[in-house]
Amino acid sequence: MDWLEDELRRALARQEAPVGFADHVMARRAVRPSGARRWLAAAAMVVVAAGAAGAWRQYQGYEAKREVMLALRLSAAPMHRVQLEVRSISQ
Amino acid sequence: MLTVAVETGYDFGELLRQHQAMVFSIALHFLHDRATAEEVAQEVFLSLHRNLDHIESAAHATGWLRKVTVQRAIDEGRRRSRKPQVALEDVAEPAAAGVKPGDPLLSELLRKLIATLEEAPRMVMVLRYQEDLEPAEIAAALEMPVATVKSHLQRSLALLREKLARRGVGESGWTG
Repeated sequence: MDWLEDELRRALARQEAPVGFADHVMARRAVRPSGARRWLAAAAMVVVAAGAAGAWRQYQGYEAKREVMLALRLSAAPMHRVQLEVRSISQ
Repeated sequence: MLTVAVETGYDFGELLRQHQAMVFSIALHFLHDRATAEEVAQEVFLSLHRNLDHIESAAHATGWLRKVTVQRAIDEGRRRSRKPQVALEDVAEPAAAGVKPGDPLLSELLRKLIATLEEAPRMVMVLRYQEDLEPAEIAAALEMPVATVKSHLQRSLALLREKLARRGVGESGWTG
């Protein structure tokens, strides 16, 4: 076998994990939220997002209605003047 | 832990015990930093714990762990923008006259030289010489063509041979 490959196998041989490694993993695993808790959190987020989307659509509808009413009010005054002009000319 | 074992048929503690050296060593040899390697290895096992339901066999667990470790180690390397920590020119030259096959000094020099390789060839070397994987297995783990794996291996070996020869280390340089 090639001497360099031999040396590489020696240099890159597996090393033991640090002392207490498995205990640290087990401890961190214990404090992680369980699967059920993660699903509950995800479901709560979906509900909140859906509520926010509904409120946003309602707000957009209200805004659109307000703009239409404003436009009607703005156009009503000139129309009234035009009607008076037409009436005076016809008389 | 009992619940996990009953639900999936795989005991997380047992998988952890069996594979901790592999996972830690891949991260260590790639990142060349014990603390970071330990952190990466812990994250890999926590990820395994979250995905234990998807593990289908012992072989699947080994492959899964290897693949996730490779990806996590590469991500960590990128996240830290960790260029090779030691430039080739900065690697301390061993006393060539005293270096013999199997010398711990030579092993340390090789690890430092490997740490200077680019990301892909470095991981290829780790999987080839730590895990003794065949090029096809490395290609599957790294999701790259087999030809690319072979090319990385050939080029890295040639580069290491050249660097070692320059330091008087090699078959013709063995003394004693």
